[in-house]
Amino acid sequence: MSLLTVKGLTKSYPGFTLDKVSFSIEPGYIMGFIGRNGAGKTTTMKAMLNLIKKDSGEVLFDGRDYFENEMECKQQIGFVNGEFSCYLKSKLRTIADVTMRFYDEWDEALYREYLRRFDLDDNKRVSELSAGMRVKFALALALSHNAKLLILDEPTSGLDPVSRDDLLDVFRSVIEDGRHSILFSTHIISDLEKCADMITYIKHGRILASCDVESFKSGYLLVSGESADLAEAGSYLLGVKKHAFGFTGLIRAEDAERAGGLRTAPADLESIMIYIEQEAENEGSAL
Amino acid sequence: MKDLLYKEYRLCMQPIVYIFFGFVLMLLIPSYPYTIPCFFIGNAIFNSFQVSVGNNDSLFTAMLPIAKKDVVKAKLFFIISIQLIMLLLYVPMIALNNALYDGCNNAGIDACPALIGSCFVLFGLFNVTFLPCFYKTGYRTGRAFLISTIVVFAWIVLSEGFFIAARAAMDQAPLFNWIETHIDCRAETGAQWCAQLIYTAVGALIWAALSSAALVRSAKAFEKVDV
Repeated sequence: MSLLTVKGLTKSYPGFTLDKVSFSIEPGYIMGFIGRNGAGKTTTMKAMLNLIKKDSGEVLFDGRDYFENEMECKQQIGFVNGEFSCYLKSKLRTIADVTMRFYDEWDEALYREYLRRFDLDDNKRVSELSAGMRVKFALALALSHNAKLLILDEPTSGLDPVSRDDLLDVFRSVIEDGRHSILFSTHIISDLEKCADMITYIKHGRILASCDVESFKSGYLLVSGESADLAEAGSYLLGVKKHAFGFTGLIRAEDAERAGGLRTAPADLESIMIYIEQEAENEGSAL
Repeated sequence: MKDLLYKEYRLCMQPIVYIFFGFVLMLLIPSYPYTIPCFFIGNAIFNSFQVSVGNNDSLFTAMLPIAKKDVVKAKLFFIISIQLIMLLLYVPMIALNNALYDGCNNAGIDACPALIGSCFVLFGLFNVTFLPCFYKTGYRTGRAFLISTIVVFAWIVLSEGFFIAARAAMDQAPLFNWIETHIDCRAETGAQWCAQLIYTAVGALIWAALSSAALVRSAKAFEKVDV
Protein backbone atom coordinates (compact mmCIF):
# COMPACT_ATOMS: atom_id res chain seq x y z
CA MET A 1 0.00 0.00 0.00
CA SER A 2 1.27 3.48 -0.86
CA LEU A 3 2.24 5.69 2.04
CA LEU A 4 1.09 8.77 0.17
CA THR A 5 -1.24 8.97 -2.80
CA VAL A 6 -2.13 12.24 -4.45
CA LYS A 7 -4.98 12.08 -6.96
CA GLY A 8 -6.07 14.90 -9.23
CA LEU A 9 -4.97 17.70 -6.90
CA THR A 10 -6.10 20.96 -8.48
CA LYS A 11 -5.73 24.57 -7.42
CA SER A 12 -6.33 27.56 -9.66
CA TYR A 13 -4.88 31.02 -9.31
CA PRO A 14 -5.08 33.84 -11.83
CA GLY A 15 -2.26 32.98 -14.23
CA PHE A 16 -1.39 29.58 -12.76
CA THR A 17 -3.18 26.28 -12.33
CA LEU A 18 -2.02 23.25 -10.46
CA ASP A 19 -3.64 20.82 -12.85
CA LYS A 20 -4.78 17.38 -11.63
CA VAL A 21 -1.50 16.53 -9.94
CA SER A 22 -1.23 12.81 -9.21
CA PHE A 23 1.59 10.66 -7.86
CA SER A 24 2.25 8.19 -5.08
CA ILE A 25 5.09 7.15 -2.79
CA GLU A 26 5.63 3.68 -1.41
CA PRO A 27 7.12 3.19 2.05
CA GLY A 28 10.92 2.99 2.07
CA TYR A 29 11.59 5.30 -0.88
CA ILE A 30 12.94 8.78 -1.47
CA MET A 31 11.11 10.74 -4.13
CA GLY A 32 12.66 13.81 -5.68
CA PHE A 33 10.19 16.47 -6.74
CA ILE A 34 11.67 18.62 -9.46
CA GLY A 35 10.64 21.42 -11.73
CA ARG A 36 11.58 25.01 -12.40
CA ASN A 37 10.83 27.91 -10.10
CA GLY A 38 7.08 28.52 -10.29
CA ALA A 39 6.32 25.07 -11.69
CA GLY A 40 4.08 24.30 -8.71
CA LYS A 41 6.24 22.25 -6.32
CA THR A 42 5.57 24.31 -3.19
CA THR A 43 1.92 24.81 -4.13
CA THR A 44 1.55 21.04 -4.50
CA MET A 45 3.15 20.37 -1.13
CA LYS A 46 1.09 23.02 0.65
CA ALA A 47 -2.15 21.95 -1.03
CA MET A 48 -1.44 18.35 -0.01
CA LEU A 49 -1.08 19.48 3.59
CA ASN A 50 -4.17 21.74 3.54
CA LEU A 51 -2.02 24.83 4.04
CA ILE A 52 -3.48 25.97 0.74
CA LYS A 53 -7.16 25.34 0.08
CA LYS A 54 -7.40 22.93 -2.86
CA ASP A 55 -10.09 23.28 -5.51
CA SER A 56 -10.38 19.51 -5.94
CA GLY A 57 -8.44 16.32 -5.58
CA GLU A 58 -7.72 13.65 -3.05
CA VAL A 59 -4.79 12.93 -0.76
CA LEU A 60 -4.49 9.57 0.97
CA PHE A 61 -1.92 9.12 3.71
CA ASP A 62 -1.34 5.59 4.91
CA GLY A 63 -4.68 4.61 3.40
CA ARG A 64 -6.64 7.37 5.13
CA ASP A 65 -8.16 10.51 3.67
CA TYR A 66 -5.74 13.24 4.73
CA PHE A 67 -8.31 16.03 4.84
CA GLU A 68 -10.69 14.05 7.04
CA ASN A 69 -7.93 12.86 9.38
CA GLU A 70 -5.67 15.90 9.22
CA MET A 71 -4.51 15.96 12.83
CA GLU A 72 -3.72 12.23 13.01
CA CYS A 73 -1.90 12.40 9.67
CA LYS A 74 0.14 15.45 10.69
CA GLN A 75 1.39 13.52 13.72
CA GLN A 76 3.16 11.26 11.23
CA ILE A 77 4.32 13.85 8.73
CA GLY A 78 7.28 16.18 9.03
CA PHE A 79 7.20 19.25 6.80
CA VAL A 80 10.20 21.48 6.22
CA ASN A 81 9.51 24.60 4.22
CA GLY A 82 13.02 25.65 3.24
CA GLU A 83 15.08 27.25 5.95
CA PHE A 84 13.45 27.83 9.33
CA SER A 85 12.28 31.46 9.30
CA CYS A 86 9.90 31.60 12.24
CA TYR A 87 10.44 33.35 15.59
CA LEU A 88 13.83 34.75 14.67
CA LYS A 89 14.48 36.13 18.14
CA SER A 90 13.52 32.97 20.01
CA LYS A 91 16.00 30.38 21.20
CA LEU A 92 16.04 26.98 19.52
CA ARG A 93 15.33 25.27 22.84
CA THR A 94 12.19 27.39 23.32
CA ILE A 95 10.89 26.48 19.87
CA ALA A 96 11.68 22.80 20.43
CA ASP A 97 10.06 22.92 23.87
CA VAL A 98 6.87 24.23 22.27
CA THR A 99 6.98 21.87 19.28
CA MET A 100 7.48 18.68 21.31
CA ARG A 101 4.21 19.24 23.18
CA PHE A 102 2.20 18.66 20.02
CA TYR A 103 3.70 15.31 18.99
CA ASP A 104 2.76 12.04 20.67
CA GLU A 105 5.94 10.35 19.48
CA TRP A 106 8.45 13.11 20.11
CA ASP A 107 11.82 11.49 20.82
CA GLU A 108 13.93 13.85 22.93
CA ALA A 109 17.01 11.61 22.70
CA LEU A 110 16.72 11.56 18.92
CA TYR A 111 16.33 15.34 18.86
CA ARG A 112 19.50 15.71 20.98
CA GLU A 113 21.26 13.34 18.61
CA TYR A 114 20.32 15.46 15.58
CA LEU A 115 21.41 18.64 17.37
CA ARG A 116 24.80 17.00 17.96
CA ARG A 117 25.01 15.62 14.43
CA PHE A 118 24.08 18.97 12.86
CA ASP A 119 26.33 20.86 15.29
CA LEU A 120 23.43 23.00 16.55
CA ASP A 121 23.57 24.89 19.85
CA ASP A 122 20.02 25.13 21.19
CA ASN A 123 20.94 28.15 23.30
CA LYS A 124 21.28 30.17 20.12
CA ARG A 125 18.50 32.25 18.64
CA VAL A 126 17.19 31.52 15.13
CA SER A 127 18.51 34.89 13.91
CA GLU A 128 22.03 33.84 14.94
CA LEU A 129 21.99 30.82 12.59
CA SER A 130 23.19 30.78 9.01
CA ALA A 131 20.73 29.75 6.30
CA GLY A 132 22.17 26.25 6.27
CA MET A 133 21.95 25.87 10.03
CA ARG A 134 18.32 27.00 9.92
CA VAL A 135 17.57 24.22 7.44
CA LYS A 136 19.27 21.75 9.77
CA PHE A 137 17.22 22.98 12.73
CA ALA A 138 14.00 22.58 10.74
CA LEU A 139 15.10 19.07 9.83
CA ALA A 140 15.98 18.22 13.42
CA LEU A 141 12.44 19.22 14.45
CA ALA A 142 10.87 17.27 11.59
CA LEU A 143 12.96 14.15 12.17
CA SER A 144 12.46 13.99 15.94
CA HIS A 145 8.84 12.93 16.07
CA ASN A 146 9.26 9.71 14.11
CA ALA A 147 7.38 10.97 11.08
CA LYS A 148 6.57 8.24 8.58
CA LEU A 149 6.72 10.75 5.77
CA LEU A 150 9.03 13.73 5.47
CA ILE A 151 7.95 16.42 3.03
CA LEU A 152 10.87 18.74 2.44
CA ASP A 153 10.69 21.83 0.27
CA GLU A 154 14.18 22.77 -0.92
CA PRO A 155 15.90 21.33 2.16
CA THR A 156 19.41 21.39 0.71
CA SER A 157 19.42 24.75 -1.06
CA GLY A 158 21.27 26.72 1.60
CA LEU A 159 23.74 24.03 2.56
CA ASP A 160 27.42 23.66 1.73
CA PRO A 161 28.44 20.46 -0.15
CA VAL A 162 29.66 18.67 3.00
CA SER A 163 26.45 19.40 4.89
CA ARG A 164 24.39 18.40 1.87
CA ASP A 165 26.20 15.11 1.65
CA ASP A 166 25.70 14.54 5.39
CA LEU A 167 22.02 15.32 5.00
CA LEU A 168 21.63 12.89 2.14
CA ASP A 169 23.15 10.24 4.40
CA VAL A 170 20.54 11.15 7.01
CA PHE A 171 17.82 10.75 4.37
CA ARG A 172 19.09 7.27 3.47
CA SER A 173 19.26 6.25 7.12
CA VAL A 174 15.70 7.51 7.73
CA ILE A 175 14.20 5.28 5.02
CA GLU A 176 16.36 2.20 5.45
CA ASP A 177 13.87 0.52 7.81
CA GLY A 178 11.44 0.36 4.88
CA ARG A 179 8.64 2.13 6.78
CA HIS A 180 9.57 5.76 6.22
CA SER A 181 9.56 7.80 3.01
CA ILE A 182 10.79 11.21 1.93
CA LEU A 183 9.39 13.58 -0.67
CA PHE A 184 11.76 16.42 -1.32
CA SER A 185 11.87 19.18 -3.85
CA THR A 186 15.18 20.55 -4.99
CA HIS A 187 16.95 22.45 -7.72
CA ILE A 188 20.19 20.63 -7.00
CA ILE A 189 19.92 17.73 -9.38
CA SER A 190 23.13 16.10 -8.14
CA ASP A 191 21.37 15.54 -4.79
CA LEU A 192 18.66 13.61 -6.58
CA GLU A 193 21.22 11.52 -8.45
CA LYS A 194 22.81 10.62 -5.12
CA CYS A 195 19.79 9.58 -3.12
CA ALA A 196 16.42 9.63 -4.92
CA ASP A 197 14.80 6.35 -5.89
CA MET A 198 11.82 7.95 -7.56
CA ILE A 199 11.28 11.18 -9.36
CA THR A 200 8.24 13.33 -9.99
CA TYR A 201 8.67 16.06 -12.55
CA ILE A 202 6.26 18.97 -12.61
CA LYS A 203 6.07 21.53 -15.38
CA HIS A 204 3.63 24.45 -15.51
CA GLY A 205 1.50 22.84 -12.80
CA ARG A 206 1.24 19.48 -14.56
CA ILE A 207 3.00 16.25 -13.74
CA LEU A 208 5.23 15.34 -16.66
CA ALA A 209 6.51 12.09 -15.18
CA SER A 210 6.41 10.17 -11.93
CA CYS A 211 8.47 7.01 -11.92
CA ASP A 212 11.77 5.56 -10.72
CA VAL A 213 14.86 7.58 -11.58
CA GLU A 214 16.40 4.98 -13.91
CA SER A 215 13.19 4.58 -15.94
CA PHE A 216 12.95 8.34 -16.23
CA LYS A 217 16.56 8.67 -17.39
CA SER A 218 16.34 5.75 -19.80
CA GLY A 219 13.40 7.45 -21.50
CA TYR A 220 15.73 10.06 -22.98
CA LEU A 221 19.00 10.21 -24.88
CA LEU A 222 21.46 12.99 -25.47
CA VAL A 223 22.40 13.45 -29.10
CA SER A 224 25.06 15.49 -30.84
CA GLY A 225 25.80 16.14 -34.49
CA GLU A 226 27.05 18.52 -37.15
CA SER A 227 25.18 21.71 -37.94
CA ALA A 228 24.08 20.17 -41.25
CA ASP A 229 22.19 17.40 -39.41
CA LEU A 230 20.15 19.83 -37.38
CA ALA A 231 17.45 20.49 -39.94
CA GLU A 232 16.59 16.79 -40.19
CA ALA A 233 16.87 16.14 -36.46
CA GLY A 234 14.91 19.24 -35.52
CA SER A 235 11.53 17.52 -35.77
CA TYR A 236 12.17 15.13 -32.91
CA LEU A 237 14.64 17.09 -30.79
CA LEU A 238 13.11 18.07 -27.44
CA GLY A 239 15.69 20.77 -26.91
CA VAL A 240 18.83 21.87 -28.65
CA LYS A 241 21.96 23.89 -27.99
CA LYS A 242 23.97 25.08 -30.96
CA HIS A 243 27.71 25.61 -30.80
CA ALA A 244 30.63 26.19 -33.17
CA PHE A 245 31.00 22.49 -34.06
CA GLY A 246 27.35 21.58 -34.41
CA PHE A 247 24.70 20.97 -31.80
CA THR A 248 23.74 18.85 -28.81
CA GLY A 249 20.21 18.03 -27.89
CA LEU A 250 17.77 15.69 -26.19
CA ILE A 251 15.51 13.12 -27.79
CA ARG A 252 13.08 10.55 -26.48
CA ALA A 253 14.64 7.06 -26.37
CA GLU A 254 11.87 5.81 -28.67
CA ASP A 255 13.17 8.18 -31.37
CA ALA A 256 16.69 6.70 -31.20
CA GLU A 257 16.31 4.88 -34.52
CA ARG A 258 15.40 8.09 -36.30
CA ALA A 259 18.62 9.62 -34.97
CA GLY A 260 20.73 6.92 -36.59
CA GLY A 261 23.28 9.31 -37.99
CA LEU A 262 23.77 11.18 -34.73
CA ARG A 263 25.97 10.35 -31.79
CA THR A 264 23.88 9.34 -28.77
CA ALA A 265 24.72 9.08 -25.09
CA PRO A 266 22.75 8.28 -21.91
CA ALA A 267 21.04 11.35 -20.52
CA ASP A 268 21.57 12.54 -16.97
CA LEU A 269 18.82 14.21 -14.91
CA GLU A 270 20.23 17.70 -15.19
CA SER A 271 20.49 17.56 -18.98
CA ILE A 272 16.97 16.19 -19.26
CA MET A 273 15.61 19.00 -17.10
CA ILE A 274 17.51 21.70 -18.97
CA TYR A 275 16.43 20.49 -22.42
CA ILE A 276 12.83 19.84 -21.41
CA GLU A 277 12.53 23.30 -19.92
CA GLN A 278 14.13 24.71 -23.06
CA GLU A 279 11.42 22.94 -25.06
CA ALA A 280 8.84 24.59 -22.82
CA GLU A 281 10.37 28.01 -23.46
CA ASN A 282 10.39 27.39 -27.20
CA GLU A 283 6.74 26.35 -27.06
CA GLY A 284 6.03 29.51 -25.12
CA SER A 285 7.84 31.74 -27.62
CA ALA A 286 6.11 29.98 -30.52
CA LEU A 287 2.79 30.83 -28.92
CA MET B 1 -5.63 24.08 23.79
CA LYS B 2 -3.31 24.26 26.80
CA ASP B 3 -0.36 23.57 24.50
CA LEU B 4 -1.48 26.19 22.01
CA LEU B 5 -1.81 28.77 24.75
CA TYR B 6 1.66 27.78 25.98
CA LYS B 7 2.94 28.34 22.44
CA GLU B 8 1.35 31.78 22.32
CA TYR B 9 2.95 32.84 25.60
CA ARG B 10 6.39 31.35 24.83
CA LEU B 11 6.69 32.42 21.19
CA CYS B 12 4.22 35.23 20.49
CA MET B 13 3.79 37.22 23.71
CA GLN B 14 5.75 40.46 23.51
CA PRO B 15 7.21 42.14 26.62
CA ILE B 16 5.44 45.34 25.59
CA VAL B 17 2.16 43.70 26.68
CA TYR B 18 3.36 44.01 30.30
CA ILE B 19 3.89 47.74 29.77
CA PHE B 20 0.35 48.07 28.47
CA PHE B 21 -0.92 46.30 31.59
CA GLY B 22 0.63 49.28 33.42
CA PHE B 23 -1.98 51.57 31.87
CA VAL B 24 -4.33 50.24 34.55
CA LEU B 25 -2.65 52.89 36.76
CA MET B 26 -4.77 55.43 34.88
CA LEU B 27 -7.52 54.44 37.28
CA LEU B 28 -5.64 56.52 39.82
CA ILE B 29 -6.36 59.69 37.82
CA PRO B 30 -9.14 61.47 39.80
CA SER B 31 -11.50 62.00 36.85
CA TYR B 32 -10.95 60.08 33.64
CA PRO B 33 -12.81 57.80 31.20
CA TYR B 34 -11.75 54.62 32.99
CA THR B 35 -12.51 52.33 30.05
CA ILE B 36 -9.58 53.90 28.14
CA PRO B 37 -6.88 51.63 29.69
CA CYS B 38 -8.68 48.68 28.07
CA PHE B 39 -8.29 50.35 24.69
CA PHE B 40 -4.53 50.24 25.24
CA ILE B 41 -4.74 46.47 25.70
CA GLY B 42 -6.03 46.38 22.13
CA ASN B 43 -2.83 48.21 21.23
CA ALA B 44 -0.77 45.52 22.95
CA ILE B 45 -2.65 42.77 21.10
CA PHE B 46 -2.15 44.61 17.80
CA ASN B 47 1.58 44.79 18.54
CA SER B 48 1.76 41.06 19.33
CA PHE B 49 -0.06 40.23 16.09
CA GLN B 50 2.32 42.41 14.08
CA VAL B 51 5.31 40.58 15.53
CA SER B 52 3.59 37.22 14.97
CA VAL B 53 3.08 38.04 11.30
CA GLY B 54 6.78 38.94 11.01
CA ASN B 55 7.66 35.65 12.70
CA ASN B 56 5.59 33.53 10.26
CA ASP B 57 3.58 32.34 13.22
CA SER B 58 0.59 31.24 11.13
CA LEU B 59 2.72 28.91 8.99
CA PHE B 60 4.51 27.41 11.99
CA THR B 61 1.24 26.86 13.84
CA ALA B 62 -0.62 25.51 10.81
CA MET B 63 2.11 22.90 10.31
CA LEU B 64 1.63 21.54 13.82
CA PRO B 65 -0.75 18.58 14.16
CA ILE B 66 -3.78 20.75 14.76
CA ALA B 67 -6.76 21.79 12.67
CA LYS B 68 -6.56 25.12 10.85
CA LYS B 69 -9.38 26.54 12.97
CA ASP B 70 -7.27 25.84 16.07
CA VAL B 71 -4.74 28.39 14.81
CA VAL B 72 -7.49 30.99 15.21
CA LYS B 73 -8.68 29.52 18.49
CA ALA B 74 -5.17 29.79 19.94
CA LYS B 75 -5.01 33.48 19.10
CA LEU B 76 -8.48 34.14 20.52
CA PHE B 77 -7.64 32.36 23.77
CA PHE B 78 -4.41 34.35 23.97
CA ILE B 79 -6.36 37.59 23.56
CA ILE B 80 -8.98 36.50 26.08
CA SER B 81 -6.34 35.62 28.66
CA ILE B 82 -4.73 39.06 28.29
CA GLN B 83 -8.10 40.76 28.60
CA LEU B 84 -8.97 38.78 31.74
CA ILE B 85 -5.61 39.61 33.31
CA MET B 86 -6.28 43.30 32.62
CA LEU B 87 -9.72 43.08 34.25
CA LEU B 88 -8.24 41.32 37.26
CA LEU B 89 -5.80 44.22 37.58
CA TYR B 90 -8.79 46.57 37.51
CA VAL B 91 -10.11 45.13 40.80
CA PRO B 92 -7.37 46.40 43.15
CA MET B 93 -7.11 49.65 41.18
CA ILE B 94 -10.85 50.30 41.62
CA ALA B 95 -10.44 49.68 45.36
CA LEU B 96 -7.42 52.00 45.49
CA ASN B 97 -9.28 54.70 43.52
CA ASN B 98 -12.16 54.51 45.98
CA ALA B 99 -9.75 54.73 48.92
CA LEU B 100 -7.98 57.78 47.47
CA TYR B 101 -10.88 59.88 46.19
CA ASP B 102 -14.30 60.83 47.49
CA GLY B 103 -15.99 62.55 44.57
CA CYS B 104 -17.69 61.26 41.46
CA ASN B 105 -15.93 60.71 38.14
CA ASN B 106 -16.95 63.64 35.91
CA ALA B 107 -15.47 62.01 32.79
CA GLY B 108 -17.67 58.91 32.71
CA ILE B 109 -18.57 55.88 34.77
CA ASP B 110 -17.21 55.80 38.31
CA ALA B 111 -14.45 53.41 39.36
CA CYS B 112 -16.84 50.73 40.54
CA PRO B 113 -17.67 47.05 39.80
CA ALA B 114 -19.97 48.09 36.93
CA LEU B 115 -16.93 49.61 35.18
CA ILE B 116 -15.73 46.05 34.54
CA GLY B 117 -19.01 45.33 32.72
CA SER B 118 -18.36 48.26 30.37
CA CYS B 119 -14.82 46.99 29.81
CA PHE B 120 -16.14 43.50 28.95
CA VAL B 121 -18.30 44.99 26.19
CA LEU B 122 -15.32 47.01 24.94
CA PHE B 123 -13.21 43.85 24.72
CA GLY B 124 -16.04 41.96 23.01
CA LEU B 125 -16.33 44.70 20.37
CA PHE B 126 -12.56 44.61 19.87
CA ASN B 127 -12.56 40.84 19.40
CA VAL B 128 -15.47 40.75 16.96
CA THR B 129 -13.95 43.45 14.75
CA PHE B 130 -10.19 42.85 14.99
CA LEU B 131 -9.97 39.07 14.63
CA PRO B 132 -12.28 38.44 11.63
CA CYS B 133 -10.76 41.39 9.78
CA PHE B 134 -7.22 40.11 10.46
CA TYR B 135 -8.02 36.54 9.42
CA LYS B 136 -9.44 37.64 6.08
CA THR B 137 -5.80 37.72 5.00
CA GLY B 138 -3.85 36.35 7.96
CA TYR B 139 -1.34 39.18 7.71
CA ARG B 140 -3.06 42.59 7.50
CA THR B 141 -2.94 43.91 11.04
CA GLY B 142 -3.24 47.64 10.25
CA ARG B 143 -6.71 47.57 8.73
CA ALA B 144 -8.00 45.27 11.48
CA PHE B 145 -6.65 47.60 14.16
CA LEU B 146 -8.06 50.71 12.49
CA ILE B 147 -11.56 49.25 12.24
CA SER B 148 -11.49 47.88 15.78
CA THR B 149 -10.20 51.22 17.10
CA ILE B 150 -13.10 53.10 15.49
CA VAL B 151 -15.66 50.68 16.96
CA VAL B 152 -14.03 50.59 20.41
CA PHE B 153 -13.77 54.38 20.56
CA ALA B 154 -17.40 54.69 19.53
CA TRP B 155 -18.26 52.47 22.52
CA ILE B 156 -16.07 54.52 24.86
CA VAL B 157 -17.70 57.78 23.74
CA LEU B 158 -21.24 56.33 23.90
CA SER B 159 -20.92 54.51 27.21
CA GLU B 160 -18.94 57.16 29.07
CA GLY B 161 -21.08 59.87 27.49
CA PHE B 162 -24.23 58.04 28.60
CA PHE B 163 -23.14 58.09 32.25
CA ILE B 164 -22.13 61.77 32.03
CA ALA B 165 -25.55 62.55 30.55
CA ALA B 166 -27.30 60.38 33.15
CA ARG B 167 -25.59 62.31 35.94
CA ALA B 168 -26.63 65.63 34.42
CA ALA B 169 -30.25 64.49 34.04
CA MET B 170 -30.63 62.43 37.20
CA ASP B 171 -32.83 65.02 38.92
CA GLN B 172 -35.21 65.13 35.95
CA ALA B 173 -35.62 61.42 35.13
CA PRO B 174 -36.19 58.65 37.69
CA LEU B 175 -34.45 56.06 35.44
CA PHE B 176 -31.28 58.14 35.26
CA ASN B 177 -31.52 58.72 38.99
CA TRP B 178 -31.67 54.95 39.56
CA ILE B 179 -28.72 54.40 37.21
CA GLU B 180 -26.65 57.03 39.01
CA THR B 181 -27.50 55.71 42.45
CA HIS B 182 -27.13 51.99 41.61
CA ILE B 183 -24.78 51.53 38.59
CA ASP B 184 -22.61 54.64 38.21
CA CYS B 185 -21.57 54.88 41.84
CA ARG B 186 -19.53 53.11 44.45
CA ALA B 187 -20.99 49.77 45.45
CA GLU B 188 -21.74 50.11 49.15
CA THR B 189 -25.27 48.79 49.72
CA GLY B 190 -26.54 45.34 48.80
CA ALA B 191 -28.79 46.82 46.11
CA GLN B 192 -25.87 48.65 44.55
CA TRP B 193 -23.70 45.51 44.56
CA CYS B 194 -26.53 43.49 43.08
CA ALA B 195 -27.25 46.00 40.28
CA GLN B 196 -23.57 46.39 39.42
CA LEU B 197 -22.83 42.67 39.42
CA ILE B 198 -25.81 42.09 37.09
CA TYR B 199 -24.49 44.89 34.84
CA THR B 200 -21.06 43.25 34.85
CA ALA B 201 -22.51 39.79 34.21
CA VAL B 202 -24.47 41.13 31.22
CA GLY B 203 -21.24 42.75 29.98
CA ALA B 204 -19.41 39.42 30.40
CA LEU B 205 -22.16 37.59 28.49
CA ILE B 206 -21.95 40.11 25.65
CA TRP B 207 -18.15 39.67 25.66
CA ALA B 208 -18.51 35.89 25.51
CA ALA B 209 -21.09 36.06 22.71
CA LEU B 210 -19.06 38.54 20.65
CA SER B 211 -15.87 36.50 21.19
CA SER B 212 -17.64 33.32 20.05
CA ALA B 213 -18.91 35.14 16.96
CA ALA B 214 -15.34 36.37 16.37
CA LEU B 215 -14.06 32.79 16.52
CA VAL B 216 -16.67 31.44 14.09
CA ARG B 217 -16.20 34.28 11.58
CA SER B 218 -12.40 34.26 11.84
CA ALA B 219 -12.08 30.48 11.49
CA LYS B 220 -14.36 30.56 8.44
CA ALA B 221 -12.30 33.35 6.86
CA PHE B 222 -8.98 31.68 7.67
CA GLU B 223 -10.06 28.40 6.04
CA LYS B 224 -9.92 30.24 2.72
CA VAL B 225 -6.51 31.80 3.37
CA ASP B 226 -3.42 30.21 1.83
CA VAL B 227 -0.84 29.98 4.59
